[in-house]
Amino acid sequence: MRKFLNLLQKEIKELITLQLFISLLFTIFLFYFIGQMLKTEIKKAMRVQKIAVLNLDDSAFSQNLIRGLKSANFEPQAVPDQDTEKAVQWTKGTDINLLLVIPPGFGESIEKFENKEIETYSFLRTFSIVGSRSSVIINAVIRAMNEYLSNDYLKKKIPDISPEQLKNPIRSKDFVVVKDRMAEGAAEKIAGFVSSQSIFVPIILMMIIIYASQMVISAIAMEKQNKTLETLLTVPVSRTAIVTAKMVAAAVVGLISAVIYMIGYRYSMGNLMGDVSRAVSSGMGDVIQKLGLAMTTKGYIVLGISLFFAILVALALATILGVLAEDFRAAQSLIMPLIFLVMIPYFLSFFSDPKNLSLPMKIFLYAIPFSHPFLTTQNLLLENYRAVLFGILYMLAFFIVLIIIAARIFSTDRVLTMKLRFGKKKLVI
Amino acid sequence: MDNVLVVEGLKKFYGGLEALKGISFEVGRGEIFALIGPNGAGKTTALRIVATLLSPSDGKVSFLGFDLKKQPEKFREKISYLPEEAGAYKNLKGIDYLKFMAKFYAETEKETQEFIERAREIADLGTRLNEKSGTYSKGMTRKLLLGRALMTKPELAILDEPTSGLDVINALEVREIVKRFAKEGISVLLSSHNMLEIEFLSNRVALIDKGKILDTGTPEALKDKHRAKNLEEVFRGALQ
Repeated sequence: MRKFLNLLQKEIKELITLQLFISLLFTIFLFYFIGQMLKTEIKKAMRVQKIAVLNLDDSAFSQNLIRGLKSANFEPQAVPDQDTEKAVQWTKGTDINLLLVIPPGFGESIEKFENKEIETYSFLRTFSIVGSRSSVIINAVIRAMNEYLSNDYLKKKIPDISPEQLKNPIRSKDFVVVKDRMAEGAAEKIAGFVSSQSIFVPIILMMIIIYASQMVISAIAMEKQNKTLETLLTVPVSRTAIVTAKMVAAAVVGLISAVIYMIGYRYSMGNLMGDVSRAVSSGMGDVIQKLGLAMTTKGYIVLGISLFFAILVALALATILGVLAEDFRAAQSLIMPLIFLVMIPYFLSFFSDPKNLSLPMKIFLYAIPFSHPFLTTQNLLLENYRAVLFGILYMLAFFIVLIIIAARIFSTDRVLTMKLRFGKKKLVI
Repeated sequence: MDNVLVVEGLKKFYGGLEALKGISFEVGRGEIFALIGPNGAGKTTALRIVATLLSPSDGKVSFLGFDLKKQPEKFREKISYLPEEAGAYKNLKGIDYLKFMAKFYAETEKETQEFIERAREIADLGTRLNEKSGTYSKGMTRKLLLGRALMTKPELAILDEPTSGLDVINALEVREIVKRFAKEGISVLLSSHNMLEIEFLSNRVALIDKGKILDTGTPEALKDKHRAKNLEEVFRGALQ
């Protein structure tokens, strides 16, 4: 144990370098900067926005429309000219991004129950989502006006029946059933809410796996490149201790780095999504609880175990790949297969339902050990405990096989003689 | 002189390539035994096998009565290996590197300190030991590694090209250190293709080429046998 701790201490000292600190500090700063920038932009977008209005009608209806804009956080600015082309030119010369043209006879047509077009001109000065937000709002205002006017027509024409009833003679009451639980709510909203709550799991997993694996591969490759491995393999310490110390150190440093990245990510994304997700979750709480779709402490522990085994598998795989690397540069290329093994289940679980995949694809997906933690949250919420247990046991078995291979490689000549030569594309043993 | 290391009929294959073709030699206590030969002769392979890095394809290697195949861990407790062109951990200070290595051999903290002190004396790097080894020159790194290799006073020090890439002054210092420790009872198995260095250092020499030992003896005896002025001429004679 004393010798193992000695090795572990050395490995951690080797990994915690000035470069790592700089990279982490830079990341924290970057996330902080992005967060602040997003916050400012969103505040800007939420502020009262100017809208140029060319009112060629001046009826009570058009005045109502302008009042509606005011209540939707717009500040209408009357265009000095009485011509659409000139109004476009005038608005172009200002910092206003929207022009609304209310045509002559607008109010009269509406009174006669005739369709009448109003024109909106959006001046695209940026292609960002925030930049196009104002045209979305004005469309919502027009929809609301349409709703108000059509209700008004219907009331006048058929005063005995409520416009709501006339427009929607069929109504639906939605229920969602999860296993033996049922609650009132729309399936797509619940599914969207659950996936938004567990979206951070694959991101954390990807970050930790890629970070820790890269550290192990690089650490072994550097030892080979500097020939320190040759010395280390001749000291009186077991080869298993050497391999394990490298993996544990990489896991510790990888975890710390991933946590820092996640805090930064949550902070910046929190600024963007915070208000939206809070609003959604406030209405969803009861339904989620009723359906048992909220993660419990036990659930988080199981998820943690699943993540832990995925990390172990990644580290064992990285150790073997590290042995294949002749030097540090080769190590950087060898991380790619591992990244693909993480990316494939990430995208497959994100964009498709594994249950609906064809059999070969299903086998392929489940054969990749990293698929299981991606599916754990979903399986836990749907009470597919067998699938969760199978995933954990599969990863454990995979890890044991890999660690046996790694220990065998380290206890034979292969640790020094095995290398993947990219030029010749063959394994030299 | 009792032998600490006995190598008999040692063979090593790398796939279809026979790197060692059944070589035999022994190293006595306090003796400096050298393997000399050109690049690719099999010197490093032989040293790596004795250092437990590679396994022999055939033959027997025994050290202090222990068999390499059965008890490699017994070898590791009592040997010390200095690979050719080896480096230290660049992010560790020289002193931390020595401490890290000493802890594998020392039983107590006091013994660890003793080892470090000895290494400090051998390396002779002064306050530079408190700096990261990544900032060292090649000569400084080599001296640090030599200090590490000899600090535990191993029964057998295996030195692969100990002065490779060093300037004249550093090479001289390293040779003096090796000689001094051999006098204190440490056995040394070294390899080099620098014949003059071997002549200065070694008690006995084995001439090796293409995986075979051509001749073995003291430098003087070999020179007499081959009627040569120096080992370079001896080697040429042995090849003919």
